[in-house]
Amino acid sequence: MNKRKVTLAVATAGVLTGAAGLSLLAMPAGAGQPPSLPDVSAESLVEQVMTAKPGAFGGTVEVDNKLGLPSIAEIPQLADGKHSARIWTDGNGKLRLALPNGQSEQTIVDDGKTTWSWNSQDNEVTKSEHKDSPKESNGEKAIDPATAAKEIVTKTKEFSDITVDGTARVANRAAYELVLSPKPTEKTLIREVRIAVDAELKMPLRVAVLTNGAAEPAGTVGFTQINVGPQDAKLFEFTPPANAKVTTPEAKEAQAREKLPEAGLEAALQGEDPQIFGTGWDSVIGARIPADAMTQVPAEAQGLVDRFTKKVSGSWGSGKLFTTKVATILIADDGRVVAGAVPEQVLFDTIGQVK
Amino acid sequence: MITRQFGSEVRWMLRRPRTIIGLFGLVLVPIIISFGIWTAGDGGGGPGLAAILQGNGMVVPIFTLFLSLNLLLPLVASIWAADGLAGEAQHGTLRGLLVAPVSRVRLLFVKLFGLTAMSLFAVTLMAVVGIIAGTAFLGTNGMMTLSGTTLSTGQGLLRIALFVVLVTFQMVSIGAVALAVSSTTEHPLVVQAATMTTIIVFQVLGQFQSLDWLHPFLITTGFPGLIDVMRDPIPLGQIWDSTLLAGCYLLIGTGLAAMRLITKDS
Repeated sequence: MNKRKVTLAVATAGVLTGAAGLSLLAMPAGAGQPPSLPDVSAESLVEQVMTAKPGAFGGTVEVDNKLGLPSIAEIPQLADGKHSARIWTDGNGKLRLALPNGQSEQTIVDDGKTTWSWNSQDNEVTKSEHKDSPKESNGEKAIDPATAAKEIVTKTKEFSDITVDGTARVANRAAYELVLSPKPTEKTLIREVRIAVDAELKMPLRVAVLTNGAAEPAGTVGFTQINVGPQDAKLFEFTPPANAKVTTPEAKEAQAREKLPEAGLEAALQGEDPQIFGTGWDSVIGARIPADAMTQVPAEAQGLVDRFTKKVSGSWGSGKLFTTKVATILIADDGRVVAGAVPEQVLFDTIGQVK
Repeated sequence: MITRQFGSEVRWMLRRPRTIIGLFGLVLVPIIISFGIWTAGDGGGGPGLAAILQGNGMVVPIFTLFLSLNLLLPLVASIWAADGLAGEAQHGTLRGLLVAPVSRVRLLFVKLFGLTAMSLFAVTLMAVVGIIAGTAFLGTNGMMTLSGTTLSTGQGLLRIALFVVLVTFQMVSIGAVALAVSSTTEHPLVVQAATMTTIIVFQVLGQFQSLDWLHPFLITTGFPGLIDVMRDPIPLGQIWDSTLLAGCYLLIGTGLAAMRLITKDS
């Protein structure tokens, strides 16, 4: 009789453990106790980030997107929600990226000489060989990174406050939280940008953009898992699979131009020198689409634009307004386009200046 | 002693005509898939994993099991769980087992073992036929992964073996919950209906974005993540999550079945 009670208790414990395990699995991973790190000034932290040598690492990056962008079938990665990517680098320009998309995957490998891009959906490899340009020798050595960092800090400080706001644990690594917040005079949608900087490697581990009037970040990009150190050299090699099509980016571009309705809109926007109005966070970029290009936009693209925009008008004319949490785009009917990380009123005030 | 009971349980299961018919049906799935992809030709393929099947026969077993995990394999697991306790109760043979001087917990473990052995057998059989049919119809040249890398035949077989183990574990977990249902009734059809309804309802619930708080509790949420076996290198995160999730179901199912069996009047 007693033995029966014991087995009953064990069975009950099993059920409870299973149920507890389920709720534990369902709980989001806790951020954990923020680590205690020696104090550092914002200026020197930025300088250290700029001068830090990139090392070899491999990890998983998660993008949590709540920007309020419409979901477009061709680019599902842009839609709201969480998307993850895996990244490996040897710190010397070799790179591998794996972008899962549902059951398929896109892999991009840069072996130092050639960039391979593979898409499992159409069994196609795009191969682009690097042009022989001595970019590393002239660009980076001419400017001392420390000086450049100081310049950037000074420039940024004109329009924003830079502070170190405590510490955080990102992907199980200790990090400083570097916060960039626009000065109160800036008319922008963005409240602050938080960058978690690895305390040891001085490499950004997570970037979060917070907007006015929302407690949750509108967008976060950050490592969920990272291992620092030399990576398997095989990761940076790519051999196209035996029965895959191998094309060049030029051929692919020509093909894409025929296929996608958006390509027409993109073509319409190209070839125009964009103009920039204002300074700092509330600067606005403007351009004018030539009238003939406006009429060339295919009907599908027009439909796409209409679906996600709202009609607005004012003393400046009339047009369509596209809003997300971090940016606003105004397209006037006469072809003027302005965009920026600003509320719509700023765009209405600026659009008159577009030449 | 217990090994003899294990052996006789599996022999009993194999002797049932419906088991043989069921296994035969399962084996047809990879053959039909290979044939279908072969006739579709180069233009064929489809979304996700189906896109890389052409000329890549070693992926057929993984594709087949991945598809079958949604309905077919839970159905088979529920049939075996239903026969194990409810079926025996219906025939009156369970009474004999319950009054016998054998611990009821041991009886449950014998049933669970039968379920595990048969699930592993069925899944392995599907995988082996998948490899043969895939190679025959589609040809093979190592195994091409979703990441565009090509694995050697040996590595490919290891991936298939890993997937077989993962899928079997999911199947056994569903079967354990079905065994808990099976211990409460003497109608095998009730067990099958209850299990399949749950699986289908879970999958429907999984489609609603507004119910995303519920998704981590549903065993079906873990199914799609198992496809990570076909990525290179394998990301273990989702595979672990799915397996732990199924493990919780296994514990709950086994525990509930044991509680019911212990307290049951013979």
